[in-house]
Amino acid sequence: MKRTLTVCPYCGTGCMLYLVSQGGRLVGVEPSSTHPVSRGSLCVKGWNAHAFVHHPDRLTSPLVREKGELRPATWDEAITVVVAGLKGVQDRHGSDALMFASSAKATNEENYLLMKLARRVFATNNIDHCARLCHSSTVTGLTDCFGSGAMTNSIACLDDTDLIFVIGSNTTEQHPLIGSRIMAAARRGARLIVADNRRIRLARHADLHLRHHNGSDVALLNSMMQVIISQGLTNLSFRERRTENYPLLAESVAEWTPERGAAVTGLTPGEIVDAARLFAGASSAMIIYAMGITQHSHGVDNVRCCANLALLTGNVGRNGAGVNPLRGQNNVQGGCDMGALPEYYSGYQSVGDPAIRQKFARYWGGSDLPATPGLPLTRAMDAALQGRIRGMFIMGENPLLSDPDQTHARLALEKLDFLVVQEIFLTETARLAHVVLPSACYAEKEGTFTSTERRVQLVRKVVEPPGEALADWQIISALARSAGCGGFSYDGPSEIMAEIAVLTPQYGGITYERLAPHGLQWPCSTPDDPGTPILHREQFTCGLGRFSPVTYRPPAELPDEEYPFVLTTGRTYCHWHTGTMTRRTHLLDREERAPFVEINPLDATRLGLREREPARVTSRRGSIIVAARISTIVPPGVLFIPFHFVEGAANLLTNNVLDPESSIPEFKICAVSVRREA
Amino acid sequence: MKALSDGQLLHFFKCLEKDWEVRLPVTLPDGTRTLGSLKDGPIALLGGSLPAKPTGAFFPQEEEIFRLSERELRLPLPPERPLFVAGFTSRDLASLLFIDRFFADDPKDDLYFRRRQSALVAAVTGWCGPGGSFIKMTSKGCDLELLRDERGWLLLSHSEAGRQATQELPEGDDPLRLERFVAASASQSNDDELLLSQAAELLRADLVPDSFWNEIGDRCILCTGCNLVCPTCTCFGIRDWRSASGVERIRMWDSCQLEGFMREAGGHNPLGSEALRSRRRIHHKLAADLMRWGEISCFLCGRCDATCPTGIGIVSVMKEMVARHGGPANQRSR
Repeated sequence: MKRTLTVCPYCGTGCMLYLVSQGGRLVGVEPSSTHPVSRGSLCVKGWNAHAFVHHPDRLTSPLVREKGELRPATWDEAITVVVAGLKGVQDRHGSDALMFASSAKATNEENYLLMKLARRVFATNNIDHCARLCHSSTVTGLTDCFGSGAMTNSIACLDDTDLIFVIGSNTTEQHPLIGSRIMAAARRGARLIVADNRRIRLARHADLHLRHHNGSDVALLNSMMQVIISQGLTNLSFRERRTENYPLLAESVAEWTPERGAAVTGLTPGEIVDAARLFAGASSAMIIYAMGITQHSHGVDNVRCCANLALLTGNVGRNGAGVNPLRGQNNVQGGCDMGALPEYYSGYQSVGDPAIRQKFARYWGGSDLPATPGLPLTRAMDAALQGRIRGMFIMGENPLLSDPDQTHARLALEKLDFLVVQEIFLTETARLAHVVLPSACYAEKEGTFTSTERRVQLVRKVVEPPGEALADWQIISALARSAGCGGFSYDGPSEIMAEIAVLTPQYGGITYERLAPHGLQWPCSTPDDPGTPILHREQFTCGLGRFSPVTYRPPAELPDEEYPFVLTTGRTYCHWHTGTMTRRTHLLDREERAPFVEINPLDATRLGLREREPARVTSRRGSIIVAARISTIVPPGVLFIPFHFVEGAANLLTNNVLDPESSIPEFKICAVSVRREA
Repeated sequence: MKALSDGQLLHFFKCLEKDWEVRLPVTLPDGTRTLGSLKDGPIALLGGSLPAKPTGAFFPQEEEIFRLSERELRLPLPPERPLFVAGFTSRDLASLLFIDRFFADDPKDDLYFRRRQSALVAAVTGWCGPGGSFIKMTSKGCDLELLRDERGWLLLSHSEAGRQATQELPEGDDPLRLERFVAASASQSNDDELLLSQAAELLRADLVPDSFWNEIGDRCILCTGCNLVCPTCTCFGIRDWRSASGVERIRMWDSCQLEGFMREAGGHNPLGSEALRSRRRIHHKLAADLMRWGEISCFLCGRCDATCPTGIGIVSVMKEMVARHGGPANQRSR
C-alpha cells in the first residue's frame, strides 16, 4: 500500500488527497488532514477520485482514421499524421485556419505547452479552452474593474466573514467543501443571502433567499446598489480613497428603484431593500458566484455588477470580503493563467503588446509571434461551420456534449478537414476525430493545478498510464519536435514550470520545491514571496478600483406561447460535465443513472406528468426525452436539465447566443416546451 | 510485561517485518497520519485514533473478488505474509470485534477473513492521545497492547500469538508503572457513553420527531465520509468491469447516505430523502444493531465527527438530539 499526495481532479476547490495504490493499481482515497481546504474531508467525487482510472474503456494506443474507421497506430505514425494534417491546413489555408482547444483538466505545464505549440510552432493565437464556457465573463469583467480576473480572496476567509452573498452558485453541489464551509459560517452566525431561483441546499440555511427570474441579475444588483446609495449606506472612505468612476455608476443605477427592480426580477421591492441593507450593513461581506452569473449573453455585465457592489461597500482587499468567482474545473484557473486564451500569453500578458511578444519570441526562439488576438472557442465553432477554421486540435475536452446547440457543434466538427482529439476515453467528440491520441490521466503524471483560490499545487504520478498512453506534455513535445521546432525538450514538468516562472510574473517565485506540501497562492513573484491569499490589499492591480456601470439587457430568448418554459442547465452533484469519468465510477453512476428534467409540481400536474415518466423537452434547436423529476427546487415555469448525459443531451436544446465581450454562451436560459411523451 | 524505549520499539517493528506485513500509524509528507508501513513515513503512535479506520486493514475501500476469463476463474491470493496491525484504541477494538462477528455470520465472508484470520492486532493506549491525553487500557480484541507513559512503552500480551511475537523483548520490572495505567483507566469519565445510551433510548422510544431529521438532512451534503471512516460500517457495493479479457469483479465501501443505496429497480426509494437517510445512519447504529446484535454499534471513535464537513457526525447529532428531545418532559412521557 502506497499513499501519494495529489490534487483532486474534479472541481476548482483544490482539495488535496492521498491516492492509495497497491501493485500499480489505485485502490482508494484518503483525505489530507492538514490541507487548508480539505481539512480531513472530501466530497463524494473526491472519495471516488480513484475509481475511473483503470476502467477498461481507457484509450491505450493512438488511433488513426482509415477508410472511415479508427484503427490502432504506432505513436510514430500518429504523430506524423497529426503534424502533416495540421501543417497541411496551415499551408493551404494559413495559420489562422487552425484552432487549438486546451484543457482545464490538464496541468498548468500542459496548458502552457499547448499555448506555446499553437503560437510558436503553428503561428496562431487561435488557442482557447473551456474557461470560454464557464468564466470568460469573469476574466473580462473583473479585469475591467479590478485589473485581475481571479478570485480576490481565499476560501479560509469564509471563517471570518460577517456575511456571504451567494448568487448563481449551487455551492454545496458544485464546490462541496466551499459550500459546507458556507454552511458552517451560517451556523456560527454569519448572515447568508442566496440569490438563485432554484431552491438549492444553501437556500435552506439562508437568512434571505431571493428567487429572482433567470437572467435578471443585473436588475437585482443595480437595484440593490440604488438602495445602498439612496439610503447612504456606501463605504464613503473606501470609495474616495480606492475607486474611480463613481458618478457614472450612481447615475446608471439611479433609475433602478426597488419597484423597478421588482418588476424585472419578480421579487418584491421589500426583498430587494432587505438584501441591500443586509449586505451594506455587514462589517465584511463576501460575494460568491459561479455559472449562474457568468453563463449569460450579458455575463460580463453580471460580473461587473458584482464588482460594483463590492466596491460600493468597501468589500475588496481585506479579510472576509471580496468578489469570489468559484472556478469550476480543477485547473480552469491555471488554464487561464497559462495563456490558453486567444488574447493572452501566460500571466494575462497581451499578445497585442509588441514588448510582450518580443519577450516570448526571444525566449522561445524563432521568428515573430502572431499579433492579432485569436478566436475564442465558441466563435471558432462558428468559423468551422463557415469554413474559416479547417483544422482543430482538441486536448481533453468534449465539446460535442459541452458546447451549446449540439447540432451546431456536430456540424462544425464534422465539417473540419482535420480533427485531432487527445483524450483518456473515446468521447463523443473523439469518435469524430481523424486522429485520437491516448493520454495519461491526473493520477499518471506530474504537474500542477491551480485552484479557484489561485493556489498552485503539485499533482503527482501514482500509477503508470494504460498501454501506450502518454502524458499530454510528452505528446505536445513530440508533436513540436516532429514539426521541426526546437525548444520543446524537457526533462519533466518541473523544467516546464521553470520556464513558466521566467515568463510569467505571477508565477515568478514558483518552483516545485516550494510547492510542497500544500502549494502557493499567486501572485508569487520572487523566490521568497510567500504568495498572496488576498488580492488588492493596498491597491488594485489596475491602481484604483473602477466602477463599471451596466445597462440591463434581457436574456436573448425568453418564453413565448410556443416555448412557454425557461430552461436552465447545469451539473448534478455526482457527475462531472460530460460524464467521461463519473459515469465510469460505479457509485457516482449509480447515484444519477439517467437524464432528467426538474419540473415544479404545479406544472407537472397541469401537463399530466408523473414522477419518472418520460417528458419530451423541445427548443427551437432540438428535442430530447428525459425522465420527469417533480420538485419544488424549481419554481413554476422553470425547468432544469443537467448536461452530463449523451442520451438526453441538454445541449441539444441550449441557445448558442454569445456574450458580445466574453463570447460565453447563454447556457443558463433558453425557451422550451415540455410535454408528456406517450 | 515488557518495557521498551522508542528506539527499542522501532527495532521491534523492524524485526517483525521479516515475518509479518507490518502496518502502524505513520506520518505522511503533509502531516496526515495514517495506517502505513515503516517506509511510508515516521512512526506516529502518538496522537490518538487515526483519521482513517484501522479496520480498513481487513476490509479495504476496494478489493478484488474475482477475475473471470473464458478459460479460468481467478480468486485473489491470500496475503504473502500475515498482517501485524498496530494503532487500535479500545474503541477501535470494540469496532473490530463487532465487524468480526458480522463478517463471521453465515455465510462467512472469506475475503475479510483472508486478511483477518492470521493477523496480529496491537492496541496503543496510555498517555498517547492528542496533546498527551490518556487513552483507556484495553485487553479485549487485541493480541498486544502498547502502553505509553513518559518513560517509554510497556508491552502487554493478551494472546498466545502476542506472547510469541514479543518473547525475546526485555522484561519490565516495575509493577507500579502498570498500576498508574490501571488507575488512570478506572478514572476515565464516561460522559460520552451516557450520551450514547440516552440517545439510543430516545430513538428506541421514538421520541425524536421527523422535523429533527429534516434539519439534520438539510445539513448533509452527501459526501459519504461518515460511512467511509466508520470502523463498524460494513456495507459494500459490487462493480463488474467487462473487457475483451473477461470480467473483473470488485467490491467497494458503499454508503447508506447515497440516494442510490436503497433505490429499487423501479425507481421507488424507501430512503428517498436526506432526512430519512440521516435518520437511518444513526438509528441503525444506536437502535437497529442493538436489536440485531445486542449492542450499539457506535463505539464513539469520533471519526465521522472529524470528517463531516457540516458538523453532523454521530456525536454532534446525539448531543443535539439529547439536548432538544431528551429533556424532563420527554422523560416523563415515557
